[in-house]
Amino acid sequence: MTVNESTIADETDEDEAPAQSRWAPWRANTALWVFLIDIVVILIFGALSPDHVFFNSQNLTNIALDSAAITLLAAGVAVLLGAGELDISIGANIILSSVIGGKVMFAAAGGSEENFGVFTDLPKGIALGVVTTLVCGALFGLVNGLIVTKMKVNSFITTLGTLGIGTGAALVITGGGNVQGIPFEFQEGYGINTWAGIPIPFIVSLVLIAIIWWLVNKTKFGIHGLAIGSSREAARRAGIKIERNVLVLFVMVGFVAGIAAVLDLARFTSTNVGGHETDALAAIAGAVIGGTALFGGKASITGAFFGSLLAVILLTGLVILGFPPYFQSITIGVVLIIAVFVRARSWALRNQT
Amino acid sequence: MRDARKEYGHVRALQGASLTLHRGEILALVGDNGAGKSTLLKSLCGAVRLDSGLIEIDGQPVDLSSIETAKDLGIEAVYQDLSLAPDLTVADNVFLGREIVYQGIRGRLGMLDRPTMATESNEALQALGINLKSVSISVERLSGGQRQAVAIARAVRWATVAILLDEPTAALGTRQTRIVLDTIRNAAARGLGVLIISHDMPRMLELADRIIVLRHGRDVAQYRAGETSINQIVGAMLGETVQA
Repeated sequence: MTVNESTIADETDEDEAPAQSRWAPWRANTALWVFLIDIVVILIFGALSPDHVFFNSQNLTNIALDSAAITLLAAGVAVLLGAGELDISIGANIILSSVIGGKVMFAAAGGSEENFGVFTDLPKGIALGVVTTLVCGALFGLVNGLIVTKMKVNSFITTLGTLGIGTGAALVITGGGNVQGIPFEFQEGYGINTWAGIPIPFIVSLVLIAIIWWLVNKTKFGIHGLAIGSSREAARRAGIKIERNVLVLFVMVGFVAGIAAVLDLARFTSTNVGGHETDALAAIAGAVIGGTALFGGKASITGAFFGSLLAVILLTGLVILGFPPYFQSITIGVVLIIAVFVRARSWALRNQT
Repeated sequence: MRDARKEYGHVRALQGASLTLHRGEILALVGDNGAGKSTLLKSLCGAVRLDSGLIEIDGQPVDLSSIETAKDLGIEAVYQDLSLAPDLTVADNVFLGREIVYQGIRGRLGMLDRPTMATESNEALQALGINLKSVSISVERLSGGQRQAVAIARAVRWATVAILLDEPTAALGTRQTRIVLDTIRNAAARGLGVLIISHDMPRMLELADRIIVLRHGRDVAQYRAGETSINQIVGAMLGETVQA
């Protein structure tokens, strides 16, 4: 057997990116950059806030609780974006799941309009309500996934449709209002409870985000999703079951929305039907700021975490400094555009030959 | 492959084409546009089913009903593009769809054994004389020639019978083409049959052992590479008098 060594070795030196310092992998790590920006912003707010109240533990606890839902949603959306699909219906999913789950919880716990706050069967009611909410969330995702994979409707259009359907259905069920009277015990036990000073919902989110990170980076399932987002044709030719993978991803994002819906019920002892219009876009913004590619192939879970955390930090900080909260959305908009612009430029520079 | 026939509506893409590919041999398939080259290649990699005809591997008739079946039988195809997922690493691409997972519980959870995948990818590349700095960089950071070489190395890694290549050097510069041609030679040297479609006649004369000319869906001529000329091949492609 003759193996032809030839000139391939010479070629590599010329073709690969120019000699890199050992810092290069860190420079290219968007998640790290966003993490540093988070830290800088925290330090600035801490320094500027009166008596440095931004640093006090109550405020940091609030930030953790406020970010529990959005960081998890951003991580879920990042995986879906990595596979080249989009879900803008997660806000509607949260509303519908919390409405149905809240109704079930209230009824199963034996609550009544007359005796407000009195429940005859609390543990069963809470358990059933939580399970219903999570199942609803996952089913919502399943419907999205089935429409995308079986009916072959583009995922943006699909979830634009289910966004309207889900929100509308929730409001039909409630008659336009909120489901109220969720047991205070549920709020005390979960929604506002802390463990070692850290809000429990935030811990739940961190655990789930860690699992999502592991799925994306360490498993066959994760690699297949990224392959689909990177080149659907290559994935198909490699024998990857594209439909099944995409379907599972939609269910996963739906389940994550269900977790956020449970948190709504637990935190406010009520649904929040008016408070989720921008959730999906905020999650996408957080994921993209953190380095996830909008059209697939790359998904950074840590980036999505720090990217969506930035929005919460900015909101809290601006309010403490006395700015109207609207400045937060302006800032996030600017950060999003700059982040994508900088990344596109660094890619262009790197791929120049 | 004998007497392969395939029609698309009224278009008779293959009307009785036959060819034999030996192990360790590089066979170039040439022909004008619409001569049936792509259809023939697709039927051999399981992407297209023949209307009639016989495909045999080592004398055994086989039914290449899908890309998966063809892969199971040891036939791998390398496409002109879209073969690799650019965002994934070289190693992940080599094992795409055939990932190695850990033993035991981690494996049942689908956890990738990246160290083993990296080692085996390296071996697969080295065996064909391809030297990359690392198999853990993403494919989009490779040059066009390196990408195609990785795609071929992946095919060779999994093929046991033959690899099929569709215009493997199209859109590549001279040096990049050299990488790919060397990789193809090394693949054949490892005992695989290599079938190539290409418009690049001079390179095929240099690379291939044999050249088969397709015209109107039939094999009309075949030459040993050392005993023919471009003029003769082009003549056969266009249907001029064949003096084989």
